[in-house]
Amino acid sequence: MLLTTAAYFSFLAAVFFAYWLAARYRLGALAVVLFANYFFYARWDLAYLAIIPAASTCDFLIGNALHRSSRRQLRRLLVTLSIVLNVGLIASVKYFSVLPWVLPLALSFYGFQSLTYTIEIYRRDAKPAESYLAYLASASFFPTTIAGPITRISTLLPQWSKREMLSPRDGGKALFLIGLGLVKKLLIADFLAENLVNRVFDLPKLYSGAEVLAGVYGYAFQLYYDFSGYTDIAIGSALLLGITLPRNFNRPYAAQNISDFWRRWHISFSNWLRDYLYFSLPGLRSSWKIFAYLNLVITMVIGGLWHGAGWTFVVWGAWHGIGLATHRWWQAWHGNPKLTLTPGARFLCGLATFHFVLVGWVFFRASSLSTARDVLYQISSGTISFANITPAFVLVMVIAIGAHYVPPRWYDGGLELYCQFPYYAQAAAIAALAVAIRYVAGSGSAPFIYSRF
Amino acid sequence: MMLPKKTSLAIATLGAMLLLLESAKLARPFTLADVLDFRPRDIPNVEPLAPMPTLKGPVTAFRRPIIEPNLIDPHDNLRPFYLALWRTELGAPGAITRVLHYGDSPVTADSITADVRSLLQQHFGDAGHGFVLIAKPWAWYGHRGVEVQGKGWLINAATQVRARDGFHGLGGVSFEGDTGASSRLTLAEDHALMEIHFLRQPGGGVLAVEAAGQKLGDVETDGPAEQPSYQTFPLNAGAREINLSVERGPVRLFGVSFERNTPGVIYNSLGLNGGQVQIVVRYFDKPQWTEELQHQHPDLVVINYGTNESIYADYIERYYPGELRQVIQSVKAAVPRASCLIMSPMDRGQRDSDSRITTVPTLPQLVEIQRQMAVEMNCAFFNTFQAMGGAGTMARWYDSTPRLVSADFTHPLPAGARKVGVLLDQALESGYRQFKAREQRPARSAPAAQETH
Repeated sequence: MLLTTAAYFSFLAAVFFAYWLAARYRLGALAVVLFANYFFYARWDLAYLAIIPAASTCDFLIGNALHRSSRRQLRRLLVTLSIVLNVGLIASVKYFSVLPWVLPLALSFYGFQSLTYTIEIYRRDAKPAESYLAYLASASFFPTTIAGPITRISTLLPQWSKREMLSPRDGGKALFLIGLGLVKKLLIADFLAENLVNRVFDLPKLYSGAEVLAGVYGYAFQLYYDFSGYTDIAIGSALLLGITLPRNFNRPYAAQNISDFWRRWHISFSNWLRDYLYFSLPGLRSSWKIFAYLNLVITMVIGGLWHGAGWTFVVWGAWHGIGLATHRWWQAWHGNPKLTLTPGARFLCGLATFHFVLVGWVFFRASSLSTARDVLYQISSGTISFANITPAFVLVMVIAIGAHYVPPRWYDGGLELYCQFPYYAQAAAIAALAVAIRYVAGSGSAPFIYSRF
Repeated sequence: MMLPKKTSLAIATLGAMLLLLESAKLARPFTLADVLDFRPRDIPNVEPLAPMPTLKGPVTAFRRPIIEPNLIDPHDNLRPFYLALWRTELGAPGAITRVLHYGDSPVTADSITADVRSLLQQHFGDAGHGFVLIAKPWAWYGHRGVEVQGKGWLINAATQVRARDGFHGLGGVSFEGDTGASSRLTLAEDHALMEIHFLRQPGGGVLAVEAAGQKLGDVETDGPAEQPSYQTFPLNAGAREINLSVERGPVRLFGVSFERNTPGVIYNSLGLNGGQVQIVVRYFDKPQWTEELQHQHPDLVVINYGTNESIYADYIERYYPGELRQVIQSVKAAVPRASCLIMSPMDRGQRDSDSRITTVPTLPQLVEIQRQMAVEMNCAFFNTFQAMGGAGTMARWYDSTPRLVSADFTHPLPAGARKVGVLLDQALESGYRQFKAREQRPARSAPAAQETH
């Protein structure tokens, strides 16, 4: 059940009414969420009904044992067990299928969220869940199941105890985000993918250098609008139940340097890598500064490998790792200067950062290193032909670029305006969007890119 | 009762609006039963594909008869082609079997045809590459075994900015060059002959022809009237780099053919980007095209259009049969002794509203029209669509490893093109074997001399 389908929105509406009808009783509300979570998983494959409750129960028990135990060896053993369980779960579904059939949904985001629970208790940063039901509901929370945002269990647990009614503003914001997510996904990302990007990356040698370059630019924006579109729908869906999920994107292509980019792109993932992987690697407190840089590269290479067991992802991770390490070294060398850049210099820094990221995307998207090489070779060939670039593609690209760089206050203004609409106008705006999608979008939506990770 | 009033009303109103829109067919069709559908439909199809025959190696398959149900030839229309193949197989001097394969975008980069050529030439001998355009009318134009570079040409493809007089040569593309326009064709293997296809015209200029840095001569294109003309140049061993340059404009070219002086097969790949039967009917100058076809003395003409037409239901119903009939009539009138083969398009996919890849609904109808028309017009018919696996093939090919089709679910990737090429080759060779066995039964003799042309 993709988050862009009518089936999903019917399901979401049913969950919304059931949840708020049961909200007077905390147990009732949690039971509704848990049922919805498992229903959502079951729609992908009934096998999840066995896997998810079993894995969640193990982590819940490990969390309790970690909290009670003060023996260092035992605690280390327990957290290792949780890591093996969750990483094993991710790997067995993603890399080595142990089942006789293929599970459609990778459990990466489930695994990452579950690990935040046990690792935080191990570090004594959080306490275990008091309610088993609340833990199960948090670990498998359906809006975050497919592709995040990766939400710490410790931030979800207290939200189930809230007694407040959903405010009209939050309700409006939720609907606005869902509508915005649909526009991003169906009208921009899918259009760019189907009208140039996929074809260019499938057979780059068949296109001119200019077309391949346009395809790579297109992919940068397709990926952003695809993933941030999903995130908006996920955050909006959770907010309809009064649950706040963390922000995942903040105009990433406006970043001034590569470190800034990772503070704006897939924020929940980069925070997870930093807090649970980078800080766990040995040598950080060493006087040998090289470890700090090396660990950055290792962290990003592992982050790359998480996307898929292929050399393209290794190169992508290493590219970003080396970029981050180089930027940090440069900052350390200059004594962490607080630079005040002119608008022109800011523009150039932004442009350079964007193109650094763009080279990484070539490897991220290409099916093999040879395809990535073909893409880069075609671009460097300098051949110019625009036979495959339609005016509609150019128009959507202009909209995609323009929308990315609009000042945040414009976005906030739009949100506030929508929230102030009467309920029928809010409904009419989304209904109009549904009609637009019917006529403007393609014949169907492709799965979210990050759903396969 | 704790329902958040405004958001609940907005969602309920939205639901009512969407139901109204759906009943008015303005929103995407949806049934509530979709929400409760637990069939594992999101699981990618991982049905193993039949192993691919290898292109190189001993020709053992040749001796084993294969039942090929996808090649329909009720009127024995392939007899002239099989007879030509037989003569070629016997190795008589000058026994060349010539095939013209007209097709649309899946053929434009010599996809499919390169593999059929390779297989037929392995089994019957290599008489040369055949026809090739002198520059790239679209970025991905290319032929396996010939590298094409051209500059300074005004290119008029029949499917794009077409020539006003309809003179598009054998390959559907006209190249007009003034002084300085040039082309370089680099052959992977030696050939014995090169034939320039050009337009003789009043005031025509001069084309200089070089091979391996040695001038071979000039092509004088001046003449009393516009007339498709040809000039042959011998090529020495090792002369693989051909340069054509306009010494004095204007010069109008249509392409170049390469041949060897050995018995074998010449398989001409004549793919037009955006090709459709209506392009041939409406934009090819009939006398000029007839002259080009007759000059080739083909033994088989393959008409392989339909991909581009397949999404226009109204056109298919109203105009397609008539226009296909006209194309077949033109071919039969021009080269009445050649075999005619209608080759159906491949499967073509699209995403449905649930994100599944399904066959374009009108495609089977178009294939059936082609089959009926082949029978009516005394042509053979190869059902590519059925040979690939019928409806849903694109979904299987897209999900297979390695992927066989591009993300547009229309264009084959090299492995997919090879598979289609192998299917066509198997069908033709199977038919040939059955033909030979039948002919040998009454009197074990070589093909009758009077049937040569």
